[in-house]
Amino acid sequence: MVNVGALERLKEEGMKSLFPSTTKIMVGMATCGLAAGAHEVWQLLTKEVAKSKTDAVLKKTGCIGLCQHEPLVDIIKPGYPRVTYDKVTPEKVGALLEGAAKGVFKKGIMARIDEEEFLLNGTHRRYSKGTLPSTLRSVVPYRRLPFYKKQMRIALRNCGSIDPENIAEYVAKGGYFSLAQVLREGKPEKVIDRIKASKLRGRGGAGFPTGVKWEVCCSAQGSERYLICNADEGDPGAYMDRSILEGDPHSIVEGMLVAAYAIGATRGYIYVRMEYPLAIERMNLALAQAGKEGLLGKDILGSGFDFEIEVCQGAGAFVCGEETALIQSIEGNWGEPRPRPPFPAVSGLWGKPTVINNVETYANVPVIVAKGARWFNGIGTSKSKGTKVFSLVGKVNNIGLVEVPMGISLKEIVFEIGGGIPQGRKFKAIQTGGPSGGCIPKDKMDLLVDFDQLTKAGSIMGSGGMIVMDDRTCMVDVAKYFLSFLEDESCGKCVPCRVGIRRMREIVEDITSGKGSEEDLDYLQHMAEAIKDGALCGLGKTAPNPVLTTLRYFREEYEAHINDKKCPAGVCKPLITYSIMQKKCTGCGACLKVCPQGAIEGKKKSPHQISVEKCIKCGACFEVCTFDAIIT
Amino acid sequence: MVKLTIDTRTVQVAEATTILEAAEKLGIYIPTLCHHESLKPYGGCRLCVVEITKNGRTDLTTSCTYKVEGGLKVKTDTERIRKVRQLVLELLLAEAPEAQGIKDLAQKMGIKESERLKAREHDLCILCGRCIRACREVVGVTAIDFAERGYVRKVASPFFKSSPDCIACGTCVYICPTGAITMQEVDEGQSAQVPGGNEIAGPARIIDNWKVGLAMKRCKKCGEIIAPEFQLEYLRKKVNLKEDHFDICPICRE
Repeated sequence: MVNVGALERLKEEGMKSLFPSTTKIMVGMATCGLAAGAHEVWQLLTKEVAKSKTDAVLKKTGCIGLCQHEPLVDIIKPGYPRVTYDKVTPEKVGALLEGAAKGVFKKGIMARIDEEEFLLNGTHRRYSKGTLPSTLRSVVPYRRLPFYKKQMRIALRNCGSIDPENIAEYVAKGGYFSLAQVLREGKPEKVIDRIKASKLRGRGGAGFPTGVKWEVCCSAQGSERYLICNADEGDPGAYMDRSILEGDPHSIVEGMLVAAYAIGATRGYIYVRMEYPLAIERMNLALAQAGKEGLLGKDILGSGFDFEIEVCQGAGAFVCGEETALIQSIEGNWGEPRPRPPFPAVSGLWGKPTVINNVETYANVPVIVAKGARWFNGIGTSKSKGTKVFSLVGKVNNIGLVEVPMGISLKEIVFEIGGGIPQGRKFKAIQTGGPSGGCIPKDKMDLLVDFDQLTKAGSIMGSGGMIVMDDRTCMVDVAKYFLSFLEDESCGKCVPCRVGIRRMREIVEDITSGKGSEEDLDYLQHMAEAIKDGALCGLGKTAPNPVLTTLRYFREEYEAHINDKKCPAGVCKPLITYSIMQKKCTGCGACLKVCPQGAIEGKKKSPHQISVEKCIKCGACFEVCTFDAIIT
Repeated sequence: MVKLTIDTRTVQVAEATTILEAAEKLGIYIPTLCHHESLKPYGGCRLCVVEITKNGRTDLTTSCTYKVEGGLKVKTDTERIRKVRQLVLELLLAEAPEAQGIKDLAQKMGIKESERLKAREHDLCILCGRCIRACREVVGVTAIDFAERGYVRKVASPFFKSSPDCIACGTCVYICPTGAITMQEVDEGQSAQVPGGNEIAGPARIIDNWKVGLAMKRCKKCGEIIAPEFQLEYLRKKVNLKEDHFDICPICRE
């Protein structure tokens, strides 16, 4: 017997909350929004709404992806499309509220949404009734924005559309009905079959088939089984998991519940890095709400199935994202990896069979249950199914969080979704997969993004970080950066990683300061290959990737540093001397103004000069010059 | 029993045997450093890597940690393996150039210092963790552990102060492959400085690395030195012996 009474009640409540009969104002309050100033906007809105005595309701929501445009404020007036104002500051709040009250839509609307998608049951609900007011006709709908046109939001289905602190809105969007469905079916093995048939692969990095992992765990000997959600996201510039934790925590809880039921686990852990305080807060709230509604704890929905989830906080070690180190950390030991086998599915937490999956993997599970394996494996490439969330950052116009079907090209991601490179600069490379990934050059931009293609190119899918680099990025410096990061994060257990990465970093540092030799490149290659083969865990094994890929695709940059003692991108300070090309300089004075040393001289409207003696190579003039007159 | 192939030979061993143990049975030499037969498998130094083929997939793994499986094909000396071992020894030779244990091993394997890696003035410790594991797993004391992480990692007593738990048994000194841990016996009538602490009068034992100096206990009958008093007290309590059990040495007791 499965009692969905509570779900039906929540659904009704949630629909009222999603589509209230009065004006609704939503503020993007994920970390990206907050960092851009959403809190100040929220506070002012709260005050102004109370003062105005209107019946407008104010709601928080998660990240919708357009992080560069935050703070985002959405206004939903009954009968009208949902409209988004971007880059909202406290100064703009007054006009925005006035417009909302009068039913006039002011300038500054970035985009509109005409209907809300209910992915799980395949329906839509229109916001607007009748014809659009003329002021809105020229506003572009989200789905036609280049940023969204090629996206497909499965894991991010609710992010930026629901209030993550309200379980009812999640349920209204079809949430927890997948759980009810599998409980009603009463056949855990059928759940595993379905996940296997969907061909879902783990989104944490290695891409292991999720269903197979569950099956191995299920058939392993053990008196108890555990389930872990790996939310220890730590790649520089990557925040896919954070956005789901903050924007749709219940999707993870539901995914874990389905998985726990499938493998027969009674206890689950969500391991979140402590640097994600908001994610932890929202997740704890979600767990409390789910517990209160009988969706966690004993006898879930009256089915007899018991499951508890606890949030564990990481203490700031990148290596704890590696599954065996993560398990050690939960157990209270040193966060250092241990050799596999045995794999956690056979012997994991407290030595018991344990399934450990990434945040995004779990977020996909309820959708697969609701829409079916065939629907899911109809998306993507032959060996990589479904979608992947990427955080698109670096030298790209549209910085943000994107979810795209597997098999989309890098070109489409960078130039269509990402809108190309800012300030008309040239694209140079894209770094995927975090510090363990690699840099893919311009001529490989037709590459169709999936697990295997990225690996073939020498990089990895990883958890989904994508850093775009332009012609002012030095690839040797990039390799040095990632090596330094990994050197700091190495746990120190095995020799190749602890000492090898350090020594590689020293050699690369020598190269960037003009002390490198031709033989260094061969030795780097030797070290990189041996570390890749010899290190204990995934961190060490993939640590040489940034060096290997930059050596493979950008060897000439290394050679320029070594032979010509030059940094072509103008980044490595010991190898550059700034000077002004007299022909190109217009004498605008911009460089003169920013130079902190007073090293630049020149009369207005006539070419300037830099004093080599006074210059400290800070690069401020280089950054500010719009005529490319400053050379290195 | 499990049947597997190592290099060209087939061997049958009990389940839960490691590849390293199976190879030893065949007399095949695999170099090791962090491994010790009295300790649990660790897999830190990576010297004992071997190439395994299973279900058509070939991979490198540490033979000290990998448990044998039926039909497993193992190679103990290939180009890939030699590359890893060479790098590990090159790195360790540069980190601890004075460590005799490393030098001997490198010589045995025909590996020389890399010209590209500048040798460091480092202590002899190579962070293999044998001392820590022996203290925990064999002695059952856990007087020392790793402190900090990554390249700056160290083996240390708590907060780098005199270890309050160390019983000066010397197991760490004995098990260290590079002689990085030193111990002093202070004779009767002499005295010596405990690192970071006071002088201690003999008879006493000092473990320099853990800043520990313990007075020795003498046999009430023959007057010979038995062991550090604190150590005997620890052992007595651990196995619940009578209060005067260690007053007399084992020889006099017989």
